[in-house]
Amino acid sequence: MRKNFWLLMIALLTAIVLAACSGGDDGSGNAEEEDNGDDGSQITAWAWDPNFNIAALNLAKEHYDNENFEMEIIENAQDDIVQRLNTGLSSGTMKGMPNIVLIEDQRAQSFLQSYPDAFYAIGDYFNPEDFADYKLAPTSFDGEQYGLPFDTGVTGFFYRTDYLEEAGYTHDDLVNITWSEYVEIAKDVKEQTGQAMLSLDPNDLGILRVMMQTTGTWYTSEDGTIQLEGNEPLQMALENYKELMENDLVKLSSDWSQYLAAFNSGDVASVPAGNWIGPSVEAEESQAGLWRVAPTPRLDMEGAANASNQGGSSFYVLNIDGKEAAAEFLGETFGSNVEFYQDLVQEVGAIGTFKPASEGDAYQFENEFFNGQQVVYDFSQWMEEIPQVDYGMNTYGIEDILSAEIQQYLDGKSLEDVLSDAQTQAENQFK
Amino acid sequence: MSQANSHYTKQQSTFVQRFKKNYIGWLFIILSVLGIGLFYFYPMVQAFLLSLQSGMGSNLEYVGLDNYIRLFNDPTFITALTNTILYLLIQVPVMIVLALIFSVLLNDPTLKFRGFFRTAIFLPAVTSLVAYAVIFKYLFGSDGLVNEFLLNFNLISEPLNWLTDPFLAKITIIIAITWRWTGYNMIFYLSALQNVDKSMYEAARIDGASPVQQFFFITIPLLKPIILFTSIVSTIGTLQLFDEVMNITSGGPGNATMTISMYIYNLSFEYTPDFGYAATVSYVILILVVILSFIQFKLGGDRE
Repeated sequence: MRKNFWLLMIALLTAIVLAACSGGDDGSGNAEEEDNGDDGSQITAWAWDPNFNIAALNLAKEHYDNENFEMEIIENAQDDIVQRLNTGLSSGTMKGMPNIVLIEDQRAQSFLQSYPDAFYAIGDYFNPEDFADYKLAPTSFDGEQYGLPFDTGVTGFFYRTDYLEEAGYTHDDLVNITWSEYVEIAKDVKEQTGQAMLSLDPNDLGILRVMMQTTGTWYTSEDGTIQLEGNEPLQMALENYKELMENDLVKLSSDWSQYLAAFNSGDVASVPAGNWIGPSVEAEESQAGLWRVAPTPRLDMEGAANASNQGGSSFYVLNIDGKEAAAEFLGETFGSNVEFYQDLVQEVGAIGTFKPASEGDAYQFENEFFNGQQVVYDFSQWMEEIPQVDYGMNTYGIEDILSAEIQQYLDGKSLEDVLSDAQTQAENQFK
Repeated sequence: MSQANSHYTKQQSTFVQRFKKNYIGWLFIILSVLGIGLFYFYPMVQAFLLSLQSGMGSNLEYVGLDNYIRLFNDPTFITALTNTILYLLIQVPVMIVLALIFSVLLNDPTLKFRGFFRTAIFLPAVTSLVAYAVIFKYLFGSDGLVNEFLLNFNLISEPLNWLTDPFLAKITIIIAITWRWTGYNMIFYLSALQNVDKSMYEAARIDGASPVQQFFFITIPLLKPIILFTSIVSTIGTLQLFDEVMNITSGGPGNATMTISMYIYNLSFEYTPDFGYAATVSYVILILVVILSFIQFKLGGDRE
């Protein structure tokens, strides 16, 4: 009994000491961040992905010659950035907020409209017309340019040359096709090689957005009206989606690593996705020379382009001390420096949306992995054709409603009912 | 005492007198009352006020009870609510029964390596929620260990989509939480069993009661208060279920595993933030906890 009592006391003491230690850490961490936010001479930037966005920021810092300029780049997961911005900005104090922050394009409007005074308009620090058109709608609000467009999410149809050849297709057969042709090709591939055509996560409807954007349509219209019912491109996209799912042409994945594993292990014949998937495709060195990239399939409609977008983000400046310095830095590097963009492509592998950059040498690079294709150049050409859409405020909210309805669609509910039910639900939800 | 009695006609001074006598006690109480008031009740009132507002981000305005009306027309909320209640109805009873069985088995004094088994079953309760959820996600992945196992034993012919099928995804979540919390509840029962007088079992044995009868007529009635306590705690825990769902299925496929807590998170951080409506949804959890605890007290607490 006595021994147990002492053991208990020791356990309690340890718990208290541990709790005190972790508490202390939190405290000092916060204090540090507050200093950064308050101090005008030093700029803080938040971004995610050390190999991509953070690397790009570091590179920009090297290209910026201003001795008085000091910038601390803090890496946070994207979800954390979204959370911290939301909690920080809604509390009304700008303490601890960064000067520069990276925000995904599809989320940008919800920030710009939710916190109208929190962001600083930076349209005067660069020429927005130098950037791909489709990037401007999501990054501006109320006639002012708030975001500096960064990477493009221009999509491509990455495919395995060996599987497609076995199924009887050459590169020319895959250029400028429609999604229904894609589905037919998928059936042939399945029949001839036994492989699935692509991998999809049923939680992520990104592929529908890619299909829809080839026609310049979205879940919402430009004035923000929800348009699910009677949205012809969305209907076509869903029909293709169901066709793919029902014919067992899809290898289902439940998270990102499974999605990557699907093509790295050679289980799927193609990856229709944003260009940023390129480095992950290349990561499997044993497949060098087996991949190529064709333009994104389009929906079978008048005016549809063989180009679309998935993801992509832009830099924003918060309306706090140091905003001018931060905006100047962005304007001088990401906003106008052609040479910087060449290094960005070569060293980081990031394709920007700055149009003058595509004439530089680095963009002509012939990528061995993709059979000597000038992949970067191709992407930058497709980028200029991406139909512009206004992502609006509620993309993710609507998508959650839609994804529940899609489950029922796959179970046999009619497409009209699915879309009209989703429409009613979304209208109730986002008045 | 005698002093207090002589002044009992003047209530006011009695109070002052008592206060003077016990002021140190009051001091201690006031500290914690202030603390609880500041850190519990003040935020609760604020959250209630917030639940009467709506709008994007910081542009909130009072909308009266609109948010509460919106709840009834919100299919995602209704899905989240039904999912949560389903978890509750299936998972809590299964877990409580399992925990009871384990605790009685491990209370057997003739059992060898009792300490080892107790530790092994309790161990899941000390693992981090996120860590174990991620591991479950891999175990139940389409080419995960569980599928490999079932395939190799020829129990299934092709891999089951544990995480991407709406029904199986719910099962996966229930298996995960049961694994995580059974040991935790078992410890409560084990410690309660230590207080059960051994002579009762002895007497029962002499009267010819079988072990099963002993379990139902001695163990269960004596553990009743603890069973009540654990079922209330588990109910509250299940209503707040978040980590597992967030990490294993992130609410999918198509909201099939969405819980109320996860919906609150989505409303605040995933969609265009509407903190007012999110606060309304969180008040629903509060109301549910109050109602369910009340029912459980009524059903189980007849002795008090």
